[in-house]
Amino acid sequence: MSTRRRVVITGIGIISGHGVGREDVWRNACNGMACTAPITDMELGTSPVTIAAQARDFVVDDFVERRLARRADRVTHFALAAAQLATADAGLTISADGRDTGIILGTGTGGNHVRDENYQTMIERGVDRISPFAIPYSMCNHPPAEVAMLLGLRGPTMAMVTACAAGTDAIGTATAIIRRGDADVMLSGGTDAMITPLWIAGFDAMRVLSHHQNDPATAPRPFDSSRDGFVIGEGAAILVLEEREHAVRRGALILCEVAGYGASADAHHITDPDPSGRSQARAMRAAIADAGIPAHEIDYVNAHGGASRPGDPSEIAAIRAALGEEHAARTAVSATKSMHGHCMGATGAIEGAFTALAVANGIIPPTINLTELDPECVGVDHVIGQARTTTLRAAMSSNNGLGGHNAAIVLLPWGGE
Amino acid sequence: MTPRPLNARVVITGIGLVSPLGIGKAEVWEAARQGRSGAGPVTLFDASAHGAQIAFEVTGFDPLTFIDKRAARRMDRSSQLAVAAAGLAIEDAGLVIGADAERIGAVISTGNGGNATYEEAHHTLLTRGPERISPVALPMIICNMAAGHVSMTYGLQGPVSCILTACASSLHAIGEAADMIRRGAADVMLAGGSEAAVTPYAMGALDASRAMSHRNDDPTGASRPFDLNRDGFVLGEAGAVLVLERMDLALARNAPIIAEMSGYGATSDAHHITEPHPEGSEQARAMTRALASGQIDASTVDHINAHATSTVAGDASEVHGIITALGADHAASVAVSATKSMHGHCLGATGALEAALTTLAITHQMVPPTINLTDLDPACEGVDHVRTARAHRIRTALCSGFGFGGHNAVIALEAVTA
Repeated sequence: MSTRRRVVITGIGIISGHGVGREDVWRNACNGMACTAPITDMELGTSPVTIAAQARDFVVDDFVERRLARRADRVTHFALAAAQLATADAGLTISADGRDTGIILGTGTGGNHVRDENYQTMIERGVDRISPFAIPYSMCNHPPAEVAMLLGLRGPTMAMVTACAAGTDAIGTATAIIRRGDADVMLSGGTDAMITPLWIAGFDAMRVLSHHQNDPATAPRPFDSSRDGFVIGEGAAILVLEEREHAVRRGALILCEVAGYGASADAHHITDPDPSGRSQARAMRAAIADAGIPAHEIDYVNAHGGASRPGDPSEIAAIRAALGEEHAARTAVSATKSMHGHCMGATGAIEGAFTALAVANGIIPPTINLTELDPECVGVDHVIGQARTTTLRAAMSSNNGLGGHNAAIVLLPWGGE
Repeated sequence: MTPRPLNARVVITGIGLVSPLGIGKAEVWEAARQGRSGAGPVTLFDASAHGAQIAFEVTGFDPLTFIDKRAARRMDRSSQLAVAAAGLAIEDAGLVIGADAERIGAVISTGNGGNATYEEAHHTLLTRGPERISPVALPMIICNMAAGHVSMTYGLQGPVSCILTACASSLHAIGEAADMIRRGAADVMLAGGSEAAVTPYAMGALDASRAMSHRNDDPTGASRPFDLNRDGFVLGEAGAVLVLERMDLALARNAPIIAEMSGYGATSDAHHITEPHPEGSEQARAMTRALASGQIDASTVDHINAHATSTVAGDASEVHGIITALGADHAASVAVSATKSMHGHCLGATGALEAALTTLAITHQMVPPTINLTDLDPACEGVDHVRTARAHRIRTALCSGFGFGGHNAVIALEAVTA
C-alpha cells in the first residue's frame, strides 16, 4: 500500500444557503447561521410545505455567460460557478490539452427546471414545442459535461447518482480514479437544484419534509426529539482533488488528504434505512480501513443527520458500531444540514468540503436547533449550537441515500509529508 | 509490465438481457446472429402526434415472471427491466448470494430513470394538485432506483451506485465496477444499465434534439448505422446486466467464465453538448487507454462493437476515431458491427447490451452484423464492416459508447485462454 498514489484537496468552491465561495460559506457555517426561510419566488399552489434553504446570494450572471445562463438549468449554473470558484481557490491552471484532468459530480435528479418546463410546454402547447435542449440540459450528466467544456477537461467525466450519498460517492470515486492513474487532477463534488413544485410535492407525499412552517430557521433539527424531517436545500460544492506529487510540484496549498472511501448498500427498504445501521457502519469501517488508520483516530464525524425519525438513530448506531462505544462517546459529531438543509446530490460534497475545512482549520461547525437530544441519538459528542476549536487527527463525512446507498470518506490533516 | 495476478483480473461470468431482440442471452444471440430487427411502430403509447413514431420495444416481458406483484407495482418499468436482467445474469453465472453478500455490489446505470412515473406524477401535479402525488412516485423516478431495487431484490450489500454519462452510462458502469473489484472494494459486481424511455415526453424531447430517425414508414430499416441514407437513431429500451467477478474466486467456484474484462478507458471531448468531435480524437484516446489499461497489444483487436447510433455526424467521427486508435492498416482488418441496427439505441442500457453482444461474439467466435447497411457512406470507410454474421477469430474485442455531453467510454474484452 505504501506505493499507492495519494490524493489531496487543494481547492474548494461552494454555493449554498450560506453564501457563495468558501470563505463566506465557512464563516457563516461556523457562526451557526440558519438558511431556512419561506420560499418567495415560486408558485407552490396548495403545497403544505413552503420553506426551503435556498442559495439566495447566488447570481448566475457572475459566473455563466448570458446565453447559457438562459438555457441551462440552475443545477448546471451551480456547477459552473462552483468549478470556477474551486479552480481559482486551488490556483489551478488546467493543462493545455486537459487530458490529465476529469470531473465527477453527484446529483439527485439533474436539470429539474428544464425538464419540468418542457413537460409543461408539451402538455399545454404540443409535443413539437419541446426545446432542443430539453434532454441534453436536463440529464444528470449535463453539469459535469458543461464544466468539462468550459474548462477544457478531457479526462474521465461523469455524473454519480446515488441520491443523497452522491456527493460522497463522487469524491470517493474521483479519488480512486486518481489513485489508479487515470487522472492527476479531478474536480469532484455535487450539485442540485431540487426546490421545485414537483419535488416539494413528491417529498412531502413521502412524509419526509419538516412542517415547522411557523419558525423556518429552526425547522431542520437533526438528533432533536422534536425533529420531523428535512428541509430541502440547494447548491453545489466542488473540490479540487490532486495527486500529491502533482500538487507539491506546483506549490499548491494543500488543505488535507482524502485517505479513505467506503461504500455499501442496505438492501433493506426503498426509503427507510436499516434501523441497525449495520450497513452504514460497514461503509464507515471500509473508509477507515482504506485510510489505513485505527478507528480511534477519527475525532470528528460530519453526519448525514437528515433529521428523519428513523434515520438519525440508525446513523448514530452506525457511528457507535464503526468507532466502538468508548471512542464514539468522545467523537465530535455535527449535522450541518441543520443549517444548509438537505442539498440532495450536492449534500455529500458540501459536507465533505466542511469536513476538509474542519480538518484544515481545526474548527468544527455545529449542529443547530438541537435543543433536546433524542435519547435514541446519544452515545457521541454532539457539537451543539456553537462551533468548536480543536485539533483533528482524522475526520469522516458520511451520507446515505434513498435506495439504501451508504458512503463515507475519511480525511487526514496535511502535515507536509 | 508484469502480468496481472489472478486476483487483479476480472472476468465476466454471467449475462442477463431483456431486450428488443428477446429475453435471455440465448434468444438475443440467436436473433442477433440472424440479423433480425426488433423495431416497429410505438405501441406503448399513442405516438401519432410525434415526429418519431417508431421504436425498439421490449415485447413479451411480464415483470411478474421476475418480481413479485407488490414490489413490481412500486417499480418504474426501467427498474423492472433492470431487476429482471440482473436476475437472469445471476442465474446465468450460477451465483449464489449468501454469506458473502457484503462483497457483492452493483453499478446499474440509466439515461433518464423512471420516465413514465415522472410524466404521470407531473401530470397529476398540473391537473390535480400537489397533495395527489403518490408517495412512491419520487423513489420510482430517481435514476439510482434501478440499482437500489437490484440491491434489495437480490440482497447485494456491497457498493451500489449509478453512474450517468448519457449514452455511455453503462460502459462507464462496467469499467468502474471492474475497478471496484481490482481495488478490493468488492469481489463480485453486477454491472449494466436499464432504460425505458418509450414514453410521450421522453421520446418527444429526444426527438426535439434532432437526432432521431423519422423513417416512420420503414421501422426495421430506420436504424442504419454507416449507411449513406441514415437519418438518426431509433430509440430502444432494455435491461442489460453482466456479472463481473474476481478471476481467482470465479475459478475457485468453477464459475462459467465467458470472457475477461481487461481494459477500460474514459475520456471527454470538451467540445459540444450534442455533437461529437468530428475527428473522434478523444474517442480514439478512450480506445487507446482501454488497451493500455489492459496491457493489450492493439494488433490483437479483431472486433469492435461500435457505438454507431445511425446519426450522420456520429458514425463518421467514430470510424475516424477507430482509424486513429488502431492505425489505418490494422483498422481495415477489424470486423466492426453496429448492433444498434438490430436493437436500437437503448440509451443508458445500450452500452451494457452491446458489451453483452461483444462478450457473446467472443464466446461464439462469431461477429454479429450491422443490418440495413446497403450503401456504405464513404465517410465511414476504412474498417471491415460486417453485414451478415460471420465466423471470426476474436482475441480482443472493443465495445465503445459515447454520450451527449462528450463522454467517451471504451472497454476491452478478451477471450480467456487460462
